[in-house]
Amino acid sequence: MSRRVKLALYGALCALCVPFVFPTWWMVTSSVKPISDIFSFPPSLLPGRWDFASYGRVFELQPFAQQYWNSLYIAAVVTVGTMAVAAMAGYAFARIRFPGQNALFVVVLVGLLIPSEVTIVPLFQMFHTAGLTDTHWPLILVPILGAPSVLATFIMRQFFIALPGELEEAARVDGLGRFGTFARVALPLSRPALGAVAIFTFLHSWNLYLEPIVYLSTPANFTLPQALTQFVDAYGGPMWNVQLAAASMTALPVLVVFVLAQRQFIEGLAHTGLKG
Amino acid sequence: MKTKLAALTLSALLTVTACGGGGGDAPAAQGPQPLRMTIWTSNEAHLKLFKEIADDYRKTRPETGEITFDPLPFENYTTTLTTQIAGGNPPDLAWILENSAPDFVGSGALVPLKSKIQNPGELVPAATKLWEKDGELFAYPFSTSPFGVFVNTDLVKAAGQKTPQELIKAGQWDWEHANEINKAVAAKGKHGLTIWDFDYKGWDNLATIWRGWGATAYSEDGTTCRFNSPEMVEAMTFLHTMIFKDKAMPAPGTVADFFAGDAAMVVAQISRAAMLEDGEFGWDLVPLPAGPKGEYAVIGQAGIGVLKKSPNAEAAADFLAFFTDEANSAKLAAYFPPARDSLLTAETMAKTSPLLKPEQLQEVVIDGIETGVVKPSHTGQAELAQTVRASLDALWVADADVKTVLDGVCAKIQPMLGA
Amino acid sequence: MTATDIGDRVAGRAAARRRPFWTIPRRDALVGYLLVSPQLAGSVLFVLLPFGLVVWYSLQEWNVLAGTFEFVGGRNYEKLLADPNMGAVLTSTALFSAGLVVLNLALALTLAILLNQKLAGTTFFRTLFFSPVLVSLVAWTIVWQFLLQGEGGVNGLLAVAGVDGPNWLRGEGTALLSVVVVQVIKNVGLNMVLFLAALQGVPRQLYEAAHLDGAGAWTRFRRVTVPLISPTILLTSIITVVGSLQVFAQIAVLTQGGPGMSTTVLVYYLYQQAFQFRHFGYGATLSVLLFLIVAVLTLVQWRMRRKWVFHES
Repeated sequence: MSRRVKLALYGALCALCVPFVFPTWWMVTSSVKPISDIFSFPPSLLPGRWDFASYGRVFELQPFAQQYWNSLYIAAVVTVGTMAVAAMAGYAFARIRFPGQNALFVVVLVGLLIPSEVTIVPLFQMFHTAGLTDTHWPLILVPILGAPSVLATFIMRQFFIALPGELEEAARVDGLGRFGTFARVALPLSRPALGAVAIFTFLHSWNLYLEPIVYLSTPANFTLPQALTQFVDAYGGPMWNVQLAAASMTALPVLVVFVLAQRQFIEGLAHTGLKG
Repeated sequence: MKTKLAALTLSALLTVTACGGGGGDAPAAQGPQPLRMTIWTSNEAHLKLFKEIADDYRKTRPETGEITFDPLPFENYTTTLTTQIAGGNPPDLAWILENSAPDFVGSGALVPLKSKIQNPGELVPAATKLWEKDGELFAYPFSTSPFGVFVNTDLVKAAGQKTPQELIKAGQWDWEHANEINKAVAAKGKHGLTIWDFDYKGWDNLATIWRGWGATAYSEDGTTCRFNSPEMVEAMTFLHTMIFKDKAMPAPGTVADFFAGDAAMVVAQISRAAMLEDGEFGWDLVPLPAGPKGEYAVIGQAGIGVLKKSPNAEAAADFLAFFTDEANSAKLAAYFPPARDSLLTAETMAKTSPLLKPEQLQEVVIDGIETGVVKPSHTGQAELAQTVRASLDALWVADADVKTVLDGVCAKIQPMLGA
Repeated sequence: MTATDIGDRVAGRAAARRRPFWTIPRRDALVGYLLVSPQLAGSVLFVLLPFGLVVWYSLQEWNVLAGTFEFVGGRNYEKLLADPNMGAVLTSTALFSAGLVVLNLALALTLAILLNQKLAGTTFFRTLFFSPVLVSLVAWTIVWQFLLQGEGGVNGLLAVAGVDGPNWLRGEGTALLSVVVVQVIKNVGLNMVLFLAALQGVPRQLYEAAHLDGAGAWTRFRRVTVPLISPTILLTSIITVVGSLQVFAQIAVLTQGGPGMSTTVLVYYLYQQAFQFRHFGYGATLSVLLFLIVAVLTLVQWRMRRKWVFHES
């Protein structure tokens, strides 16, 4: 590649990444600005005076550590649960022949087509009748088994369809049953697709906004996106710097984890994953 | 996990058989019954005070279980509350905003309170009007907060203008003079007038201006759109000139925070004074300027109602009576201006609002509560508000034709008012 | 050793004596049913049943506050046909979804191709482009609300370049564009990564062969790249189309459907009607409409896959 092409590529990449980076940069730097500087025009790239007080206020105003834990463990449970459910269903739909298979797949796919706003009221009624409102059960059960996991099942099915059949046949000749073939041969091979599912699922759960607002009412049970909207003063006026500090704290650790783990994630995908 | 799933399946079936809509009657109460009140503040000081009152109450009433105060985000308050009710999980008590008052009062969702609360006779009529139907009171007006104008006197003086206080003494505190001040401050690089929570969306807050012209959003009986009345056109023309010609008010899409020292004035409820506690500038609170139709006052309101659907409605009403009796109203007055006549004296209020001077309390708060008009509200206000908001968007451009836009508002909402 | 293994052997021995009931296809089918059962049960309980209830609600007039629930038959559907807002809502929805899908897929593919070059530092850029995906949606939208103010960060940056930026969220066209762009920047990283993975799976030899045959860059892209990554294109486009019709929180924070009705997309209108205006019956009717639109669009894409998706033909 010639130097000129390289320079042009770097230029394009740098220009393109501004809108991707600037908001996060602004969020983090503004969280340590005094409140009157947040609105200054044109915006300053670095705070004139560093003020970390807003970070302390985050923990004073809300049980933020507890809320952090809630979001984290819910997302973890949902991710593991979804991986299991989707791998099993995806494998069966892709690899096993059984009567009614296509009809059942269509039944499952319907979940992909229904936005969560549509079913929230009946779901709320069900969970309320079961006495599970203001608990984390709706935020765990619905994503693992309901509409959000359908996408995961779909991804897994597409992956298993593309998997060469020879390995499985060898395993079956060796006397492994269907389930054994799935658990010992196909599942280990599906790690890259599972990785994609894990990321999708974790982010979906981590970002869930409408559901926690509807189901949860005690601040100690809140999840992070919901907690972010609670940093308001007595009269509903937002406390900008505290809100931005809390938002920064929700974003930065995930960013760090991604930076550390992205090689495995993306390159795993590239090797055998959802490739063409 | 398995039992939870079984419970869910069961409840799913129950939901189907009950058609989900009405929901059955709650089972009979046994043992101490907890109470739940939905609120929109998550302020620690407020919550602490509520808890104290609740604890006092429970000392003498062992049959009452825990009383919880459930803060819902202000932005989505009514929506979330409605969802809880729809889902069959109504709170026992709920704060109700003035804009949804007609819906709650008119629907019969609330328990009548007149016979329950202490000394209802002393409640100021201007404050109870919104919460009454057929002579019965359906929510207690626990917060009746007049709008006033907070002034950044430092900015006003720096712009070489007379302060509003001086104008009041000279009998010149009207919108024309206020506009001159704001124009001068804005010309110096800061912002002029701001209206709390308006942001070119919350148009009901504009009532604090158009009342000065004698304008109203709807006719008294609520059946006719009054947005295209001559008074309204005149008031909105004044506002439009103020924004786009005089630049005395920050244009759409500009954030100007009075409490951060960015603007000369803010029209806001007096409870916002708390935000100036450690303010870094000199400030004053004055009544709304007079309009062409003279002096006037506007109040924002919130009520507490007991939901009929609550299984503990009886106990909830009893708690509400305690929560709002004279002694506790006096305590609540520290944050929420009371509607009780006996508490509406500058002396009592001075004890709880140390930030305000006696004459401010008298002029803005007490006179305001007694003479004020409540912000516009109507049955189906949420849908009306949204429709008006969408039509009014055309007004917030420099070359808008005020009359045409306002005619457009009425064309849209008149069919909705007819019913 | 799993239960199935034992089952296999027992069945195997039994087969010597008489015609077994548990033939291999039958055992396979049993395993199949068992494997799909959690997902299927979840679909019935958390998707079909609630949706059935929604359809039922759409036939009711449900006053939540008064607690009345009255069967009105098709009246909500008549209201839908006569709703004066429907034209504006469907237009916004179509513009929004089309804009979002086209911009998202085009940008994702462009970024993936740029990052697939042999260039130092692509890992770094990949991280940057992916990072918004990890920022919580609420935080992201709150930040953009600031940045898009008339005197906000975006116009601040434009001012540096000598451009006088418009008042993004207050103009009918710019508001819609803003919400689309904010949403694309937030999520394009996911599609980019999927495309990147697909591109890295295209064998180099194919490009070299095409090059030898005299194919230019565009032809190689059209004839080699696109067919080979077509399954990924199908997957991403289905996800993106479906997702574009469900964008809600961003609109709620940024524009609340305005100015005018310019950003009132169907899912937001549905939310307004059901939750804000408390017309639950009518909201349910709009839900049914939304479902039909999503279903038809997805079905069309799924049907078309045979025509152009490489592996499925």
